[in-house]
Amino acid sequence: MKIIELKDIYFEYDREEGPVLRDFSLEEEAGEAVILRGGNGSGKTTLLRILNGLSFPQKGSYAFKGEKIDRDHLADNGRAKRFHKSVGYLFQNPDTMLFNSSVYDEIAFGPRQMGLRDEEADRRVEDLLSLFELRDIRDRVPYHLSGGQKKLVALASVVALDPEVLTLDEPFADLEKKRAAWLLDFLKELKASGRTLMIASHRDDLAGELNGREIEMRSL
Amino acid sequence: MQPMLPEWMKTSEEYVPPGDGGAFYYRTLRSLGGIMSRLRVESGREGRCSLPAWLKLLVLILYILLMSLARDRLCIMGLAAAGLMVLAMMPAKDIWSVLRPALLAGGLAAVLFAPAVIMDPGRLSNSLMVVVKVIMSVTAVGIFNRRTQWNHVTAALRRFRVPGVVIFLIDITFRFIVLLGNLMTEMLTALQLRSVGRNRKKYDSVGGIMGTVFLRGSEMNREMYEAMQCRGFTDDYKGL
Repeated sequence: MKIIELKDIYFEYDREEGPVLRDFSLEEEAGEAVILRGGNGSGKTTLLRILNGLSFPQKGSYAFKGEKIDRDHLADNGRAKRFHKSVGYLFQNPDTMLFNSSVYDEIAFGPRQMGLRDEEADRRVEDLLSLFELRDIRDRVPYHLSGGQKKLVALASVVALDPEVLTLDEPFADLEKKRAAWLLDFLKELKASGRTLMIASHRDDLAGELNGREIEMRSL
Repeated sequence: MQPMLPEWMKTSEEYVPPGDGGAFYYRTLRSLGGIMSRLRVESGREGRCSLPAWLKLLVLILYILLMSLARDRLCIMGLAAAGLMVLAMMPAKDIWSVLRPALLAGGLAAVLFAPAVIMDPGRLSNSLMVVVKVIMSVTAVGIFNRRTQWNHVTAALRRFRVPGVVIFLIDITFRFIVLLGNLMTEMLTALQLRSVGRNRKKYDSVGGIMGTVFLRGSEMNREMYEAMQCRGFTDDYKGL
């Protein structure tokens, strides 16, 4: 089943600067991994923002599970929430994602809103603290963590929503070697569980490791 | 150790989001962040035959002073005509970007005066004059901002013997307000993406974002000051 369909996307931030994406089309099956590669300014982050309904292309269309995603569609609060629950986004800079007073609360932010029973929400957080090996820092303020720890806390807080699609912007940046190896294994597990991945990364080996498809993006 | 996904991640779930208000609240804050991030002081462009920045600054201060002190209607209209003439010589897209905040400020002034005018219609004329003064003063600042490079403004302030530390504070405030506005907008976007249900602690979330922006601002300030010290800064700021 096609989960993501982008057709002839044209996007520009500023008319004077010209387009970031032009005639860009992409189809992604559920459970597939797509790796976006390319230099700075090639449109990787812009594409991830479009996929998350944060930016809307001036031309072309984006459909998620057959539903057209545009400003009108996401104007409905309920539809927007369901969509954001289905598509998780890890920002390139994890600092922008962390605003709670402890790592525990940061991860619990999503599950607590989803209408889960308290014990169910707590179980999710405890599971993720163990999975991401964050137990030692559960009570620390996210703002004061190292870059790598912030990245993992931000990713855990996205995974806590249990999204079907994960869009990750440079997930390996700031991670030390051991943590990067763990993250790669985790992404393999996610893919094996049927989740769809869209990853912007500079790593050469990622497409091979995740048995995914690589898309080379270029500045226009 | 190989990561093992927890059970709840291995099963698919049907999610129906519980209803929740607060969209207006987040939208308002995002607009505020957007305004902050648009306060780009580098946007001023000078033509080849542009007046020196210090002279423009002097004219601006005089214009606002005259506009504020003027009581005669003819004098106010004359000043407004002069301001509009300068505005009319600017490119069309700059005219709108100058006029928009001026009209907003004028609108706000009109709203503030409305109760007084309703109570006593005889005050209408005076109130309109004040609204015109507000519009034209903001327009003058807008024209100056559009027509003067920021580094030339700091040089002009220096010429007027404004202490270096004051110029430094103004300069840093304007530079960082854009960055902090961007940070706030991004954080609210991230919050919105994860707000997939009913957030019972909206104020806590927004408070957390404000606190983080404040901390980041303070950290950026310290880092920049240290970087400047490493490059020989001796508290004597001459502007850029």
